Amino acid sequence: MSFPTRIIAVCAALLVTAAVDAGVVRAPHIEAELVAENTALKPGENRVALRLKPEAGWHTYWINPGDAGYATTLEWNLPTGFSASPMVWPHPELHTLGELTTYGYGAETLHRVVLTVPAGALPNQPVALEAKAKWLVCSEEVCIPGEAALKLTLPLSDAPTPDPRWAAAFADAREKTPKDADALKAEFSLSGKQLLLKVEGLSAADAARAQFFPTASNLVDHSARQHLAFDDRTLRFTQDLSTYLPAAVPQTISGVLVVQDRDHSTAYSINAVPGEASPPSSPAPGLASQGLPLILGFALLGGLILNLMPCVFPVLSLKALALVETREASRAENRAQALAYTAGVVISCAAVASVLIGLRAGGEAIGWGFQLQSPVFVGLMVYLLFALGLALSGVAEFGAGLMNLGDALTRSRGLAGSFFTGVLALVVASPCTAPFMGTALGFALTQSAPVALLIFSTLGLGLALPFLLLGFFPRLAGFLPKPGAWMLRFRQWMAFPLYLSAVWLLWVLMRQTGADAAALTLIGLVLIAFALTVKQNILKWVALAAALTLLWVAAQKPTVESSDPQAWSPARVAELRAQGRTIFVDFTADWCLTCKVNERVVLHTEAVQAAFAKNKVAFLVADWTNPDEAIAQELSRFNRPGVPMYLVYVNGGEPKLLPQVLTPDIVISALEN
Amino acid sequence: MLLRSLVVVCALFAPLVFAAPEIGQPAPAFTAIDSNGKAVKLSDFKDKHVVLEWTNNKCPFVKKHYSGGNMQGLQTFAHEKGVVWLSVISSAPGKEGHVDGAGANALTKDRGASPSHVLLDESGAIGRLYEAKTTPHMFIVAPDGKLIYKGGIDSNASADPDDIADATPYVKVALTEALAGKPVTESSTRPYGCSIKYGS
Repeated sequence: MSFPTRIIAVCAALLVTAAVDAGVVRAPHIEAELVAENTALKPGENRVALRLKPEAGWHTYWINPGDAGYATTLEWNLPTGFSASPMVWPHPELHTLGELTTYGYGAETLHRVVLTVPAGALPNQPVALEAKAKWLVCSEEVCIPGEAALKLTLPLSDAPTPDPRWAAAFADAREKTPKDADALKAEFSLSGKQLLLKVEGLSAADAARAQFFPTASNLVDHSARQHLAFDDRTLRFTQDLSTYLPAAVPQTISGVLVVQDRDHSTAYSINAVPGEASPPSSPAPGLASQGLPLILGFALLGGLILNLMPCVFPVLSLKALALVETREASRAENRAQALAYTAGVVISCAAVASVLIGLRAGGEAIGWGFQLQSPVFVGLMVYLLFALGLALSGVAEFGAGLMNLGDALTRSRGLAGSFFTGVLALVVASPCTAPFMGTALGFALTQSAPVALLIFSTLGLGLALPFLLLGFFPRLAGFLPKPGAWMLRFRQWMAFPLYLSAVWLLWVLMRQTGADAAALTLIGLVLIAFALTVKQNILKWVALAAALTLLWVAAQKPTVESSDPQAWSPARVAELRAQGRTIFVDFTADWCLTCKVNERVVLHTEAVQAAFAKNKVAFLVADWTNPDEAIAQELSRFNRPGVPMYLVYVNGGEPKLLPQVLTPDIVISALEN
Repeated sequence: MLLRSLVVVCALFAPLVFAAPEIGQPAPAFTAIDSNGKAVKLSDFKDKHVVLEWTNNKCPFVKKHYSGGNMQGLQTFAHEKGVVWLSVISSAPGKEGHVDGAGANALTKDRGASPSHVLLDESGAIGRLYEAKTTPHMFIVAPDGKLIYKGGIDSNASADPDDIADATPYVKVALTEALAGKPVTESSTRPYGCSIKYGS
């Protein structure tokens, strides 16, 4: 491009800019403007948009405004042959004003439109696009209706170039536009006074947090809490219906589902069809309660089958063996034992349910098995199943003080023993899902807290049922074989399902955290075996504490990779110091356990990485896994025999030596001094 | 025993039940103080039709219906037919639309309005009782005390007075049907307007 042409190009660009700037309408508390993705229009489809930018604390409205307000509208006045699509709405956000809820946009938003330019449009002729926009802009206190006649003049060109000023805004609007989710299957039903929505095909990570925005404004009570449960790739959602629901029930329910995953959100366009529980012609109250007996039946059956799952059966078989031995006990004694055991199961089941319900009320989208998302819980289960397995194999005896629960397993000693056997049964059952359970618990999670608790407790009752019956009908015990030598063999065989369950959970843990964590947990298992072998109580406790510590370390997920790891060299340090940068040097080696623990629980945590980012820290790694003369020299310069060693150069200043065992506070305060 | 404790637990968790205003059910009873300091009870107007109008004079949607005389026209129509008209102001002190008795009377005079009473509901108790969400938000109570209409003033959810002409005037239609002894065809419509500025 020659110099004069370049000048002309710049001037042309400035002219266009001026024209567009003239198109900004500054109305009270809001800016409105028509913008285009490209600096020129081409024949065919073009992307233009209504840009609304409310002041901070003010917002405009979505197609369904919610409890108050109204949607923004755009009416085009276009040259002959031109046409514009309806506005494409980015997903809205929720605004809560006391007890009222509205849906809208509290920040700059592009309402995109596909503008079709006829093929025969004359080139090099500027085209004026005119439109009238109407909106309502509100703060928490005040609403101001606004309108503006907007105009955007653009040249025609066969090869328009993107307008860099709006590239980011268009990209953002595209990102926030609901995706047509063909892969998702959505069904709805109206049950009593609630809308039930089921969306299948989401991935687990998708549904950490979700919000459903219905397109119709008179469908749900916008201010009513949305209840979400995520189970087996299915999101179940309930919300109270609007008291303004029309008599004719809609045939489809459309809306936008926004799922939040960490700081990233994805919006799906949902078109739900009447589902399995097909809605009656008018919402009939009490439908849910009619289905409840069936669901309770499923819960009871599910609980009963749970007795046969590989993680539960061995443990409970011991209870059965204990019964065989004590069948001579008095009837009253047997009943009391059975009731205590049942209470243990049902109460711990209700406790798990309460935690679940509480978390869900807090907005977490979780379902049964949520405990298994915690690596610490999974690790503890691995330890527990392994220890129980060892006990069954007969290679270890539980000390009386160490594990009362285990003691209660083999001998029914007192009512407390039976109660804790019940608790233990529920604990070992928690990783398992039996047939029928899924249906019952999936339903429970869409219900009110009392109903959900009732369903969970019924599940517990199902789990406890065999022993409850044995306690009350001792004649049933007559079907059990006579005590004898077979019992020892049986116990030993029962250890193997437990070992296999432990392996399965270890695999889960490995998937959650990685090979390092799995290795630490395996060391923990060795420590558990040690604790069960040694005679001295103090050693038992030390080994147990060490195993738990290892588990805790293993569960510290390296949440972030270190921002910018560069290889250390004296030259690199000198260069960065010359720039006045703050430098953190991590002298480490793969075989150094302290180093790895420090990295895992301190250096790679979000807090420390955030401090690194804030202070623009250059993170250098001196890896001494293999011999390295330069590193060895640097270590000896600071009188250190080996790794770990941590050096901080604040703003390129003199090196400061940090302790070998780090905490996030040590690192962060070292950076900030 | 176990069952009994379960029932107790369930009872503890049972959500509090509020009687939401429902069409065909008795309208929630209330006592309020009007702009002249007089106590007004809903039951004072037994045997009459009662219109409840939630209002806020600063709200653009309310202005839409007062600036061109639409609301005043409706009030005159009601007045002539012996219908009681209660305007309710649920704005909390310090919030948009909050007025005292004198302020409310001045507004009535300035706007040429003719409500039977203007009820001052700065605590929001009556508004919450009726689950009133917007200004305007309209309710009609039949002479037998049952609720026969709840919802919007008309069908055009906008703040533009020009939109009144081609809207379906829900309240006028419902009132006309009710006065003629007919059931109300559209008894529940979507209310639209500004959010009511309740106190916390």
